[in-house]
Amino acid sequence: MRRTAAVLTICLMAAGIGIVTPASAEDWPQFRGPNASGIAADSTNPPLTFSVEENVAWSVELGRGVACPIVVDGRVYATTMTEDAKFAVLGFDAVTGEQLWKTEYETGELPEITPPNEHASSTPACDGETVFVHFSTIGLIALDATDGTERWKHLLPMPFYLMGWGAANSPIVYEDMVIFNLDDDLNPYLIALDKETGSIRWETPRPDMLGGYSVPVLCTADGRTDLVVAGTGKLKGYDPATGGELWTCNSLLRTIMTSPVVHEDRIYLSLQSYGDTSRVLKYALLQWRDTNQDGKLEKSELESAFHDKFDKGDADQDGFLIDDEIDAAFQSSENMAGGGNIIQSIRGGGSGDVTESAMVWSLENKAPSNIASPLAYDGRLLVVKKGGISAAFDLVDGSTIWQKKRVRNFGNYYASPIAAGGRIYVPGENGQIVVLEAGPDLKLLAKNDVGDSIIATPAIANNRLYVRTLNKLYCFAEDMP
Amino acid sequence: MRTGSSVLLQAAIALSVIVWGTVTGAAEHVTVVVGPQAPRIEQYAAEELAGQFGRLFRDVDVSVASTIPADAQYVVLIGSPKTNPAVRDAARSSWPEVSDQGLVIQSLSGDRDTLIVGGGSPVATLWAAYELGHRLGVRYLFRGDIYPGEQRDLNLTGHVVVMEPELRVRTWRTVNDFAVGPESWGLTDHRAFLRQLAKMKFNRVMLSVYPWHPFVTYEFGGVRKETSLLWFGEQYPVDGDTVGKKVFRGARLFENPDFAGIETPQEMTTAGIKHLQGLIDAAHQLGMSVGISISPLEFPREFQSVLPGSRVGNSLNQLTIVPAAEQGPTDETLIELVKSKISAYVNTYPEIDRLYLTLPEFPEWDQHADEAIEILKPHAAPGSLDLENLITRAAERKLIASGSRGKQAIRGNLVGLAFLRTLFSDETLLKRPDGKTLGLVITSVDPALFPVLDRLVPQQAETLNFVDYTARRVAENRELLKDVPAENVGSQLIITLADDNVGILPQAATQSIGTLMSDLKQLGWQGFSTRYWVPAELDPSVYFLARSAWEHDLTPRDAQTELWTTTTGNAAAAERLFIAWEQLEKATELIDRHDLGFAFPVRGMLMKHYVPEPIPDWWQEVTDAQTQYMIELYRAHGAINGGANPLLFYYAKRSEYALEYLGAVKAIREAALAKDQGDPESAIAHLEQALELTYNCINTLSDVAQDQSDRGLIAVLNEYAYRPLLAEYEKLIDGD
Repeated sequence: MRRTAAVLTICLMAAGIGIVTPASAEDWPQFRGPNASGIAADSTNPPLTFSVEENVAWSVELGRGVACPIVVDGRVYATTMTEDAKFAVLGFDAVTGEQLWKTEYETGELPEITPPNEHASSTPACDGETVFVHFSTIGLIALDATDGTERWKHLLPMPFYLMGWGAANSPIVYEDMVIFNLDDDLNPYLIALDKETGSIRWETPRPDMLGGYSVPVLCTADGRTDLVVAGTGKLKGYDPATGGELWTCNSLLRTIMTSPVVHEDRIYLSLQSYGDTSRVLKYALLQWRDTNQDGKLEKSELESAFHDKFDKGDADQDGFLIDDEIDAAFQSSENMAGGGNIIQSIRGGGSGDVTESAMVWSLENKAPSNIASPLAYDGRLLVVKKGGISAAFDLVDGSTIWQKKRVRNFGNYYASPIAAGGRIYVPGENGQIVVLEAGPDLKLLAKNDVGDSIIATPAIANNRLYVRTLNKLYCFAEDMP
Repeated sequence: MRTGSSVLLQAAIALSVIVWGTVTGAAEHVTVVVGPQAPRIEQYAAEELAGQFGRLFRDVDVSVASTIPADAQYVVLIGSPKTNPAVRDAARSSWPEVSDQGLVIQSLSGDRDTLIVGGGSPVATLWAAYELGHRLGVRYLFRGDIYPGEQRDLNLTGHVVVMEPELRVRTWRTVNDFAVGPESWGLTDHRAFLRQLAKMKFNRVMLSVYPWHPFVTYEFGGVRKETSLLWFGEQYPVDGDTVGKKVFRGARLFENPDFAGIETPQEMTTAGIKHLQGLIDAAHQLGMSVGISISPLEFPREFQSVLPGSRVGNSLNQLTIVPAAEQGPTDETLIELVKSKISAYVNTYPEIDRLYLTLPEFPEWDQHADEAIEILKPHAAPGSLDLENLITRAAERKLIASGSRGKQAIRGNLVGLAFLRTLFSDETLLKRPDGKTLGLVITSVDPALFPVLDRLVPQQAETLNFVDYTARRVAENRELLKDVPAENVGSQLIITLADDNVGILPQAATQSIGTLMSDLKQLGWQGFSTRYWVPAELDPSVYFLARSAWEHDLTPRDAQTELWTTTTGNAAAAERLFIAWEQLEKATELIDRHDLGFAFPVRGMLMKHYVPEPIPDWWQEVTDAQTQYMIELYRAHGAINGGANPLLFYYAKRSEYALEYLGAVKAIREAALAKDQGDPESAIAHLEQALELTYNCINTLSDVAQDQSDRGLIAVLNEYAYRPLLAEYEKLIDGD
């Protein structure tokens, strides 16, 4: 996804102190950058210290949103809600912050969501020519990257979540396709659209999945590139050309909100799903959706979107779902995954059920976050969870390098760690971004306050750090006036 | 929220151009007719009602006019026969006899659909407009109104309402003390809050102010009041490490917005007077009467030189002096000093309606009880003021002020009452500059004196009575209420909605308040005044209080069920919410019973638990109740859509904060135990856990902070909980 750009020398502001972009411009083209890795390989000197007053190349008021910024060919793309029912995609000059375009959409009536999720939640993807983004009440939208004009719009059904979380899935671009995985509790699917026309190349239902937010990744093993998607109980490999399922590794948990990362031919996951292995979906439903607490689900206790599923599960047609009927309605009997905490390394490739054969190592360890994805960098897999509690494991054998060590910043962690130039950036919800040294020991290099909540994972490209806080978009770079 | 700008409104009425409602198809036209010379409050009532109709009914447009248009099909007549000729003509003999607080909502049959919305006074008309809104499904809460999820077809028929209050005094107390309470609110916040209180038919506002506050200045004996402080002079800095700092929007200090950036006492006082006067004006505009509550026997410390022998009072940060042995209840200097103070308030705020004089909470001035008895005896029935008997009763009762504190309380109370008797021999003291006489309310007469309450307070004075700190404690001692001769003296009860001693955790007391409201009605009391600091979880209690003041048999259960059913549109969710508040009340009661002061918002509030003592079992019971409260909130939140959803989420997040705070307290105790047992590593681990939980609890609050009380709580928790805990942790880490 790296693109070559001409050498640009851009003088900033009247002071005339300039930043020179490298000859080869670096992109961060989707959620968490290249292949969702969280790594900007070409940036060797990203900013170490920054704040709302220090090393700010530029900043803009965006409005509320939690989608990550992306950077492609010298432009930054971001999303926001400009009004209660108006969604916008924006393009900015990556160096100056000049707004290049803004395209708005009326959203219609919006579904309930659970904070900290926001309606502008889907991270765009871009191939340099077109920006692709999903919105819950619309579907996939393709916009001209240079001026924001709509190229096509592919309507998709609105996702529904039994727990009311709301949509937050993001597309990726692979070859000439836009690939989008949407695991909701109603009609989960994986879809590939022609990126030029928006027409469907293939669509693969994922009926045994529950609501989740994992972004697909690509893994090349034994000369074959597979599309890999984590979901309820299963990590699955698909043929990106056809959407056909190639393999499944049935080792995951019930609710999957993190995304896997790929290093060489290995896929790494860190997962946390509430409860123990016996806590399948029905217990959550009986705890939270059985409003009158009579031990059975009534239709009126569920959104109308789920009523067909309800009828399907109501075997005795008595108007209630009890015990196995709840399972039958909402969780596949072939995939009764429960809760837990696991970190796994799974070899890519293969065919059929690879649960045993592909497992390189698997840890039951309470280190994982349920939302922040792991970072595979410099030979280690780093995970950070609520409280700023970190752990690192050897990528090869899963041995513990450290665990239960704090990054000196409390609070929640929704954004995932990212890395460049030997530095690891750990963004906390409280607006503090801790910078760690990539190394065998936890070493704090800096703690930077950006003054607003951070839910979205920042982006790094060309030694600039782009941070989308709850309300603003910052570009931080060193050597600023 | 529309304002009641009378000039604009009158111009608009003349032109009939104010139109409410979104008209999408064939619209029905509703004309709201207010008298051409109607009082300003009735004009405001017309505007409010028109706004409500625009939101409640589908496909209507609503205009306000001063006469009935000839072709009008739907007409709402605002006011009474005295204020609106259209009401007089339409109602004729059907206008019911109502008091100045009585409401009338009456549908009339005829050529057009006509509805009268009026009352026995202009403010009663405003209340009638809100009562109509209530009956059409609007629920008025602190933070705004919750409207029904769907608009309904226009229908003005079927209303036959004549209401009189069960309790004619419905007082809302505000200002108070502590950064977590309304002392932190700016005038803008107060105005919004008052508008909601008017909708709930509160009719009095009591401005509870303290000697160190910046709301008045006076001079006596060459000494001028210089002390001008909020929050006992406490400061709440915001820096890079302040948890939840996003709520302060870049400010370096948490401040009341009306006092932001002010540094000198003089500027503070100027701002304070503007603030309080604004509050008075805002309440008056909504038809509420306003009183200022002061403690006449406490003074800022600069007055020590003019009151020889006076001692430092029992207040936080020792900001006051109080009389002592050298002053008797007829001390001339003291009398003149108090007169200067009272006059200053009366002259600074010449439009207030009454003055509340509060007897001290900690009556150290108790040395002259015998003399006081002699002064009071001529006013009381023979034998009713036997000092020894009174002291015995005060010592043996089951109130916080019992035992030695009870003895001091009754002695000091008698001295204070004797002093007030002497003071008010000067009848000019309560004269406003315009010649009118202020109402007088004596507050906090000791319950041992309830049987002779009518004899001890100055003539014409009402009483505002404090029994104990929490509603539960008052309910447990409800027999005391029967001692008050309510038929002879205007009597109101202080009803604590949430107590500052129980502290900054979510609280509820609705069941106890239900007991007290029932008693007040049966015993013929005038009404009540509220007491609270953080308003957050008080919606159900205040809703009940407001409705119960007008409905004889309303129970807390019925009120809450009705409130939640209406606002959520889901009976099952309403039931869960009722259970949620039961659990919250259980948690409140446990803290109240076992450790009143558990989370009192002062320095040391968290670290006082850092002592090597066993972890009490009741902590877990509180945690269990708070956990169930949280579960029920999220359960209800997940079941509903629409208006009440953000409110339930706010409550739910605050319940998370409570659990995290409770977890931090437990971890601190565990750290203290480990340290005491010579296990510093374990102590550090527990302190680290406490730090994380404290951090999280503040951060959780910041996710949903809505008002200045929420922000004040975040500031307080940083200053009194997080920073001292961090300091102790770092001390231990450094091996000190």
